[in-house]
Amino acid sequence: MLLLMLSYLGIGIFVVVILGKIIKYFTMPLHVRWELYPLPHEKGREYGGSYFEELNWWEKPIKKSMLGQVKFMVPEILFVKSLYHDNRKLWYVSFPFHFGIYLVIGCLGLIFIGAIVSVAGLSPQNAISVFLQSLAVIFGAVGFMLGTIGAIGLLLRRTFDKDLRAFAAPIDYFNLVFILAIFLSGLIAWFSYDSALTVSRDYMKGLITFSPVVVGNSSLVGHIILLSLFLIYLPFTHMTHFIGKYFTWHEVRWDDRINTRGSAIEAKVNKLLNVKQNWSAPHMKPGKTWAETATEEVE
Amino acid sequence: MKAGKIRLKDIGKPSEQMVQLNPADFMRLPYPYDKADSDPDFKQLTEDQKKKYEATLDGVLAISIPKPETKVEEEELVRKFLSGLEKLLTKENNWTFLQPLTLSLEYCAKCQTCNEACPIYVGSGKQEIYRPTYRSEVLRAIVNKYIKKGGKTFAKFSGNDIDLNWTTVARLAELAYRCTLCRRCAQTCPIGVDNGLITHELRKLFSQELGIAPAEIHTLGSMKHLKSGSSTGLIPVALKDTIEFLEDDIKDRTGLDIKFPMDKEGADILLIHNAGEFLSWPENPMAFAIIFEAAGLNWTLSSDLLGYDAVNYGLWYDDVQFARVAVRHAQIAKKLGVKKIVIGECGHAHKAISVIADRIINGEINIPRESSYTLLEDIVCNGKLNLDPKKNDFPVTLHDPCNVTRLMGVVEPQRRVIRKICPQFREMEPHGVKNYCCGGGSGFAIMPSMNFPDWRTRISGRMKFKQILDAFQDVIDPGIKKMVCAPCSNCKGAIREILSHYDAWEKCGIAYTGLVEFIVNAMVDIKEPYIEWPEM
Repeated sequence: MLLLMLSYLGIGIFVVVILGKIIKYFTMPLHVRWELYPLPHEKGREYGGSYFEELNWWEKPIKKSMLGQVKFMVPEILFVKSLYHDNRKLWYVSFPFHFGIYLVIGCLGLIFIGAIVSVAGLSPQNAISVFLQSLAVIFGAVGFMLGTIGAIGLLLRRTFDKDLRAFAAPIDYFNLVFILAIFLSGLIAWFSYDSALTVSRDYMKGLITFSPVVVGNSSLVGHIILLSLFLIYLPFTHMTHFIGKYFTWHEVRWDDRINTRGSAIEAKVNKLLNVKQNWSAPHMKPGKTWAETATEEVE
Repeated sequence: MKAGKIRLKDIGKPSEQMVQLNPADFMRLPYPYDKADSDPDFKQLTEDQKKKYEATLDGVLAISIPKPETKVEEEELVRKFLSGLEKLLTKENNWTFLQPLTLSLEYCAKCQTCNEACPIYVGSGKQEIYRPTYRSEVLRAIVNKYIKKGGKTFAKFSGNDIDLNWTTVARLAELAYRCTLCRRCAQTCPIGVDNGLITHELRKLFSQELGIAPAEIHTLGSMKHLKSGSSTGLIPVALKDTIEFLEDDIKDRTGLDIKFPMDKEGADILLIHNAGEFLSWPENPMAFAIIFEAAGLNWTLSSDLLGYDAVNYGLWYDDVQFARVAVRHAQIAKKLGVKKIVIGECGHAHKAISVIADRIINGEINIPRESSYTLLEDIVCNGKLNLDPKKNDFPVTLHDPCNVTRLMGVVEPQRRVIRKICPQFREMEPHGVKNYCCGGGSGFAIMPSMNFPDWRTRISGRMKFKQILDAFQDVIDPGIKKMVCAPCSNCKGAIREILSHYDAWEKCGIAYTGLVEFIVNAMVDIKEPYIEWPEM
């Protein structure tokens, strides 16, 4: 029961804090444009061009390509493409690390679906259940192996690459060791005890139905404890860059939305120009709005 | 301290100088500058200057903060820095950049991918303090330790083990001026962290809260711009005299009778130059006038205060100064009733009024803004002038101003012009959105004090000089005249200085000019060459 409670706590804190972060970023005020080219949604301008290249650009429709964005994002998310191009040495360890995480998440997702299906009454021998379970085993086994290799590789890089070591703090090693322990315990539990992931599926069923499940193996218990603790810890760290990256790319690097008259952006800007700033340097007038500050005569 | 031994916390530890810059460590240049002895000693500050100003970072002075006389002064600087940092993280005081800044502070994975993209870090021979990550990590550590609740508890464990004292703050202020804000580092970040932005925000904190900024950018820059009309000191009356002089010069050089249209209400185009062009490169506004008149455009210049100087130095260091200038530019266009503002060959002015100001200038003053490159492309490539490319039959390469290419996405128009009229055009590598900064970006080109110009020429402009030499290696013989096209006033200034420092005209036959000069030089109806080469 305690194990179950810890898992609920982990999932609960993870969801609440992550949602809080997402809300925080979404509710931040509109910022001035600060885009960085190339922008993948610029149709036909893969070399990095923009609508500013058109004569009288404001009179012409702006062609945006969602497909261009997808074509960019899929390899970026799955294969960390930017690191492949700009930091190959790190990519060799970062890619298995991240891909391992994706596979393990995929495995957990498949176990979750399998558990739901089972709760709904489908027999474990049913073809759908068998397929889901077999896929989960492949995802899990490969994911734990890749993740273990990646985590060890990242640890070695952080330790022996002088550029990385110069900026590494104890917490950076702690984070890697923590994740390595999760991958390794998962790998051991799968290999030595739960090769078909049936115990894992039963545990997931227990989570869904609020009923305690006996997990009779220390490596799997260890793995569940570590994973639950990690879910509690993760939202408070920079490792939430899976959220951050959405905002840094979509809301900053690629935000070329135009402030047209009567637009929602114009309304937001009007509102922001009327908030009061409080800077103190001699050329500032604290207590005045941005609009007043921007239009007053300088002394 | 030796390079390679420096750690984050060293920034707060008093020492005579954190880094000793040694030319032997700098990135090697191509032929004919590939011998170490062609790179003499780096200019050192005098003992008097070192006594007077805080110069313990790298022995270079960009902002020249006077050394404190009392402990109270020291504490006051730290207190104000912290109060500014708090303001930087509030929506009221920093709505303009709060989201990008917060994201960049929270998500660096310390992978160091960005370092190799930085021309200053690489050009300096990889000095630790010039890493794009160094100043950002210092700021992150200060935020995490001194601003966030409970930050001091696990400071050592979490890598925020840094002392916030006068030395830290003063060095950080100088370090904010060892980056040209080219944002090449941000382009390579797999997470989208922007160390260029963090530098920008640091500069802003110092300016908006502490009143600390290089005099050339603030007092002699944006303040002068707002008060007298131009950071060059060119007042409206003097502008009119200058224009008359330019008209006479056009007549002498081309035989054309051209009157610059001034304050013409209802014109289609308000053309705004960087006023530095009128004084340093008058052939540039002259060429614009020749082209616009020949193409039959309905255009005007403005003699209103600020209306003839497109610069906006606030872009580099201060949002309020930025907004003040941007609003004035837009108001002038509105008053004249023009259909659009066209920005001359000034890179930062392009980005300032087209991109950043887009969320500052609202409502009726929101007049469309356009790059002159785009308009010039239309004129040249759509046959509006009679041009003969053979008149430009010499090797030419093109410099991409960061503000126009990487930060605004205007990449091809200037190339189409050059390809059309310069038969021996060759690209630098890399170019376009992957270009390298001229080394004079973010105000560096207009900062001549102390030994900063030496740092700029030798370090921040080093990669650009390498690129220029590489582009011309097959014709490096000084007997073959060749030209760098730099369609940005700031970049031209930086490139002029690099070429002059290395005697590149004498040793390699390399000169520089803007984009419009090539167009006029190719005009069939103008008999004498318009491009002037330096004298041997």
